[in-house]
Amino acid sequence: MVERYLAPTTLDEALKALAAGDATIVAGGTDVMPQSQAGRFKLGRTLVNIRRVAGLQGGAKEGDEIRLGALTTISQLREDAFIAKTLPVLAEAADHFASVQIRNMGTLGGNIGNASPAGDTLVPLLVLDAVVELRSAKGMRRLRLDEFFTGPGKTKRTPDELITNIFVPAPKPGFVARFAKFGTRPALDISAVSVGIAGIVKDGKISNVRVAYGAVAPTPVRGRAAEAALEGKTLDAATLAAAAKAAQGEVKPISDRRATAWYRREMIHNLVKKVLADVAHG
Amino acid sequence: MTVVAKSSLIGKRIPKMDAPEKAAGKTRYVQDINLPGQLIGKILRTDRVHARIVSIDTAAAKALPGVYAVLTAADIPKRGLGVNKDNPPLKGDKVRTIRDEIAAVAAETEEIALEALKLIKVVYEDLPILADPRQSTQPGAPVIQDAKPDNIAMTFDYAHGDVAQGEKESDVVVESEFYLHYVTHCCMGVSGIIADFEPTSGNLTLYSNTQVPFLHKREFSEVLGMDPGRIRIIQPPIGGGFGSKLDIYPFEPIAVYLAKAARRPVKLVFTREEEFLASPTRQPALCRLRSGAKKDGTLTFRAVDILLDNGGYTSWGATIPFVMMQTFSSLYRVPHCLFHTKAVYSNNPYAGSFRGYGNLQATFTVEQHMDMLAEKLGLDPLAIRMKNAQESGEVTGQGMVFTSCGFKECLTTAASRSDFARKFTDYAQQQSKPGNKKRGIGLAAMIHVGGGAKIYPSDGCGTILKMDDFGHVTIMTGASEIGQGSETVLAQLVCEELGLPLDAVSVVNNDTEVTPWDVGVHASRTTFIAGNSAIGAARKAKDKILNAAAKVTNMTADQLEMRGGFVVRAADGEMVMPLPKLLRSLHFSDKAELVMTTHYYEPSSVHQDKKFMGNVSATYAWAAQICEIEVDTDTGIVTLEKVTAAHDVGRVLNRMGLEGQIEGGIVMGQGYALTEDLMVRQGKVLNPGFRDYKLVTAPEIPEMDISFIESMDGEGPQGAKGVGEAPAICMAAAIANAIHNATGVRLTRLPFSPENVYRALVTAKGGVVE
Ligand SMILES: Cc1cc2nc3c(=O)[nH]c(=O)nc-3n(C[C@H](O)[C@H](O)[C@H](O)COP(=O)(O)OP(=O)(O)OC[C@H]3O[C@@H](n4cnc5c(N)ncnc54)[C@H](O)[C@@H]3O)c2cc1C
Repeated sequence: MVERYLAPTTLDEALKALAAGDATIVAGGTDVMPQSQAGRFKLGRTLVNIRRVAGLQGGAKEGDEIRLGALTTISQLREDAFIAKTLPVLAEAADHFASVQIRNMGTLGGNIGNASPAGDTLVPLLVLDAVVELRSAKGMRRLRLDEFFTGPGKTKRTPDELITNIFVPAPKPGFVARFAKFGTRPALDISAVSVGIAGIVKDGKISNVRVAYGAVAPTPVRGRAAEAALEGKTLDAATLAAAAKAAQGEVKPISDRRATAWYRREMIHNLVKKVLADVAHG
Repeated sequence: MTVVAKSSLIGKRIPKMDAPEKAAGKTRYVQDINLPGQLIGKILRTDRVHARIVSIDTAAAKALPGVYAVLTAADIPKRGLGVNKDNPPLKGDKVRTIRDEIAAVAAETEEIALEALKLIKVVYEDLPILADPRQSTQPGAPVIQDAKPDNIAMTFDYAHGDVAQGEKESDVVVESEFYLHYVTHCCMGVSGIIADFEPTSGNLTLYSNTQVPFLHKREFSEVLGMDPGRIRIIQPPIGGGFGSKLDIYPFEPIAVYLAKAARRPVKLVFTREEEFLASPTRQPALCRLRSGAKKDGTLTFRAVDILLDNGGYTSWGATIPFVMMQTFSSLYRVPHCLFHTKAVYSNNPYAGSFRGYGNLQATFTVEQHMDMLAEKLGLDPLAIRMKNAQESGEVTGQGMVFTSCGFKECLTTAASRSDFARKFTDYAQQQSKPGNKKRGIGLAAMIHVGGGAKIYPSDGCGTILKMDDFGHVTIMTGASEIGQGSETVLAQLVCEELGLPLDAVSVVNNDTEVTPWDVGVHASRTTFIAGNSAIGAARKAKDKILNAAAKVTNMTADQLEMRGGFVVRAADGEMVMPLPKLLRSLHFSDKAELVMTTHYYEPSSVHQDKKFMGNVSATYAWAAQICEIEVDTDTGIVTLEKVTAAHDVGRVLNRMGLEGQIEGGIVMGQGYALTEDLMVRQGKVLNPGFRDYKLVTAPEIPEMDISFIESMDGEGPQGAKGVGEAPAICMAAAIANAIHNATGVRLTRLPFSPENVYRALVTAKGGVVE
């Protein structure tokens, strides 16, 4: 039962509220509300609405990193001029994310905190080599995103920690990153599978390759086999075919009401090929 | 001289009379109504698919403060609901489907009611599950309803001619098995009811979402064992019906029993999840069809064998063969037709009526076979249809009589407006070209009742019309408004007769104590039947008025007319007197008379005989729809790009309302074909919510080109026909034909979800699927 509702305006207040224990963080509430209503998510005694906490919005370049505030909304990912220019792959993900209403409320931090294997910003963030910044009353730590998720809805975040920022390396020349989501509707659909691919393309060859998949495992995952099939290769038909096969072979999805495992593997194969073809043709 | 110009509302674009309130969010639905002292009713539903109930312990629930009544089957009379009377409101002996009602609670608040449900302890003994209707009639299959040990809920047989003879005359024959899946209505407003007993008299008032108030009254009186004269049904505006509110369902008598036990009004409204689980579905069907034709395309015969999954209980779904057979027997001229259907019990959800009433299913099969026959014969899809299409004057093997028939015009209009012939050839040639995006175009046509359907001995509707002293008209009609725009059309028709503006009319259509009998909103019948009834009442009023006017002028009644709120000279429109003045002179005179009329309209159709022969409707609606699609062969996603529709509507009455009906129906048909799928596995519903039950959303709605063919039906109100169901009917068939045109692959199982399409494409290429 919820006994207290807090809406702190500073980070310190927010962290103090969390330190007191048995608190549920609410950002946009687009996961918290429907999940708790459906009985799939137990609310703590204190609800901490972090929406008014200052300084956690939007993106900026800091040194050789890009900082994205946890309260950046999905709509902002799509519309913010700086983000669209520096990290267009996030705009691409936001463009197929939920509906306009949900995008206006839902946040990047919430998408990470919810830790769904189908979370649509997670796959692009993985290929961007994202790092999560966590703060608590005790201090601050940074965790690599590809080591952050431990299962569906589960992360290494401790209950007193707040996701404050996400950092990604500032893109180098030749850097490309793409995201493709497969759902049955153009929008307002949970991904049945999704694929992200990033790398540096120079003279037709791709290096520093990152591949990630959504909705094929208990967490969003990196595609190490596909990465190996691509690293340093020319993006020709043979490479595309090999990478797609590697991807199809390395994912171990389940069958559920959204798709069978077989179909998910087929879609991973076809999406990887499609995204790579897009990258190859600029 | 003051001339009053003639004006007409017929064919104009008129916003629905109830639109402003709805658009503003001010309409008061049953959800918004609260009676003093009202309790909240909640139903405990089983989580078992098939089980014997060993015991139900309600003691703890009854003891919970704030709980006023807890009921189980033991507390209420043992009477079943539905078409076979096999559905007791509360189940006592065993549960047969996942949503079965086993106990109910009335409590001060929703929270308390839900808490009480949790305190009810049920002990079950699981029984073997019958999930596949093909197993229902196998030896040793579990018996679902003791009264029907063979598990057969209902059968329908129809024949004309001799199919063996037809087969002999055929140059080509095609045979296929089609499967049509579960979908559900997804009304924006969930089901709900308020039951209120007058404390001393015991008279019962129901605030109900029903689309059939007068039949409902009778059903309630039977199940409650109550004099129907003491039951009053008030229908608040409803958030969608589409056929889902055509039967009485357990929650309704449950609310009444709770109100009786608690001696307080009880309101019972579904959650969205309940709406998915416990409201009826569209009838799923497994259909084997065999069709033949001669070299020149002339159809020779059709043999149909259909298995319907009846689920655990029998609602209207089991009776859809009644409509299906019309498409098999009479959409085209077919000399020989044999039709057999069997609805069998299982432990799956049960189906009710749903816009189109079996015709989406029948048309899906027939219209794919037309394309398959055409392909075998080297004919194009339009040619084979034109060759066999019905025309005015035809009497079909089933005895259906086609007076006005714009079928051929629908076909040629849709074909020419969509450039069908050229595109069909082009796309077929591009099938084998490289590339993962394939375009296709597909045609399907339909017939549906357009002048009511005499499935009961009467298909009539009554109207009471009264005029006040100010020239204002109130139409009291038996016909319910369920969002289809009937109020507006009835008002228009009355305005046309009485020469009044729309704002001089109000419509009362929601109270069985006031409105005269009507059989209910179904079979696309309201505009036609209630329209003719309203016109009849208006004409009687007009006679009365003009006769009275004749007496005070030196003219005869037929030299007079009503226009713009005046009595005028028919010849030149010269104003004779304002209508209100005439009405008052009638009212406040020695003879003291009010202008009040009644009319009961019964269409000329007949109640079919035991062999289903006879002209069931006063007229028929026709349509052709052409879908243009793109198939992504890498994913199986089918994108509906454009729909070209041509509908024989008799005559356009309210153009805006008509467009709304057609557009909405197209989207409903699109969802049926492409995205909607109520997933039922081993009797369980896997997706009872909008996250995974996928309705078409705004970005997927295709471009539409809609033409109206005005065949001016002789019996229709101002020449109009009913078209409420028509637009959803062709879509799945047209999309199937378009997918074939795009890919060369024939899909006979719905839905055409990406995975299903992808699997079919891989299989067709000889690939392996898991
Ligand atoms: C109709 C609908 C459609 C949707 N479609 C999609 C879709 O297409 N793709 C997709 O990925 N998701 C989708 N979602 C899910 C949801 O909108 C997203 O996950 C969104 O990003 C969540 O953000 P939020 O701010 O609303 O999170 P909230 O609901 O506020 O929080 C989500 C979780 O994260 C925790 N949390 C939030 N912020 C922080 C923080 N700063 N630090 C630590 N923990 C935090 C919360 O405690 C909670 O556990 C959809 C949801 C709905 C209702």
